[in-house]
Amino acid sequence: MNQSDQQNHLVENFFRHESANLIAVLTRVFGVRQIELVEDTVQSAMLEAMRSWKQKGPPENPSAWIHRVARNRILDHLRRDKVHERALAFAGHTIEDTESLVDQWLTEEELPDSLLRMIFVCCHPALPRSSQIALTLQILCGFGIEEISRALLTPAETIKKRIQRAKKKLAELRIAVETPAPSELASRLNSVHDVLYLAFNEGYSSSRGPAPIRDDLCEEAARLCHILSTNPPFDTPTSRALIALMLFHGARLEARVDEHGDPVLLEDQNREDWDRPLIQVANNWFHQSATEHLSRFHFEAAIAQQHCRAASFEETDWDAIVKIYDRLIKYYDSPIYLLNRAIARGQSGDTALATKELNQLAQHPSMENYFLVECARGKLFELEGNSTAAVDCYLRAINGRVAEHEKNLLKKKIKALTTADITE
Amino acid sequence: MAKFMFVYRENGEPQPEMPPEQMQKVFQVWMDWIQGGMEAGWIIDGGDALTPESRVVHPDLTVTDGPFAESKEVVGGFSIIEAKDFDQACEYAKTSPMAASGGCVEVRMLANVGEPAEK
Repeated sequence: MNQSDQQNHLVENFFRHESANLIAVLTRVFGVRQIELVEDTVQSAMLEAMRSWKQKGPPENPSAWIHRVARNRILDHLRRDKVHERALAFAGHTIEDTESLVDQWLTEEELPDSLLRMIFVCCHPALPRSSQIALTLQILCGFGIEEISRALLTPAETIKKRIQRAKKKLAELRIAVETPAPSELASRLNSVHDVLYLAFNEGYSSSRGPAPIRDDLCEEAARLCHILSTNPPFDTPTSRALIALMLFHGARLEARVDEHGDPVLLEDQNREDWDRPLIQVANNWFHQSATEHLSRFHFEAAIAQQHCRAASFEETDWDAIVKIYDRLIKYYDSPIYLLNRAIARGQSGDTALATKELNQLAQHPSMENYFLVECARGKLFELEGNSTAAVDCYLRAINGRVAEHEKNLLKKKIKALTTADITE
Repeated sequence: MAKFMFVYRENGEPQPEMPPEQMQKVFQVWMDWIQGGMEAGWIIDGGDALTPESRVVHPDLTVTDGPFAESKEVVGGFSIIEAKDFDQACEYAKTSPMAASGGCVEVRMLANVGEPAEK
């Protein structure tokens, strides 16, 4: 047997990406009403590929192989469907026309166009935000129901229903697989940004616990955002700021987990493990995102950039970060931003004002997660050198509704603080 | 040493939907297992997978669509390996990814004419 190592190793995420590509193109050709047929076809083509290749390795051009199989299957199916044939004939087309259309749209140059159209279909305003995210993760990121359920911390049954209802709705409304008209581009693009941002955050948020899917989620969100950022007219300053933000965060993904899979706090991360070339790419995108109309992604990217820039935690320019938060909070008055500003302010030295801000924030009705406030309070006490009070806060936090891995993190902190006390 | 054929018998029940991520994993586990066996020297030929369609030529030379309906199992592929006896061949078979997917490995010794099999 002649197997080159290159052949043995399919590009990581090959199946996921090809599934997204095929669903996007075939739905574009046959319309959203055929989306279930498209998905079944793609699923069976992928399964056949997996089965046929698992012993001898993939063919030289695995994408072409799988495209051909999926194309032939769906055309075979539709040839047997007289209603479809009549509809085609009525529109003056033949199955052969369709065939060449599929081939053309599956070429590398044409693929982004179909993916972009599909992004706008998945994030269509007729769907609630929660469905937009679930649908995007399923269709464009190739995640299964179980994976989406784990990522969004929502029962699988709920996700399944959400996705089914969304597809039904799209079919009923006969949503065209196209990018929005110029007049509605700005608002439609906003939805897409929000969906990608939320998907990325679900992956990135440390309070959601470590799971292998999280990095994938970040990667996929960044991949889709990258398609936006490289294709006019979707490559707006906001798209670019969002990709910059994702890449600044993405550069630190690996350093955020230790060898046991436990999360590592920013201050304890080994900055040698940060992906410097990726930070450079993020810097370039950020540079290209300049505009008069700044989005919250611009500010968030600017803050992430400050962290990436600092050679050590101690050398972080906290004053600059506080100032960016000040401007951000003028636009978006979110409790999470307020919390983060208070921590940054504490780090910059003004723990008194920071504590005052935290106390105000604790009154905020949406600040249900007191756990975070208690942790932030503990941090401020630590900065003031009052480890007894800090331990008190962490103990209160640990008794709240906390994920297991965060409990461990807090226990470690408490242990470090109390042993330091004894040795002093 | 004797040669054996591993016949991979898959459970023919329709599979629940498999997300692409899992396909990637199954694929990689198989490739790694075969690669590992070849590097260790006991897999002589990774063999190949078999597609599900088949034809059956009957004694009266009529041809029908296969596979035989009696069996719920489907032969999904084969490999050729080398081992000193059945026991060792079975130990190798136990390391295959088949069990995880709910399938069996049938272990058959090649008759290997010219060289009597060692007892």
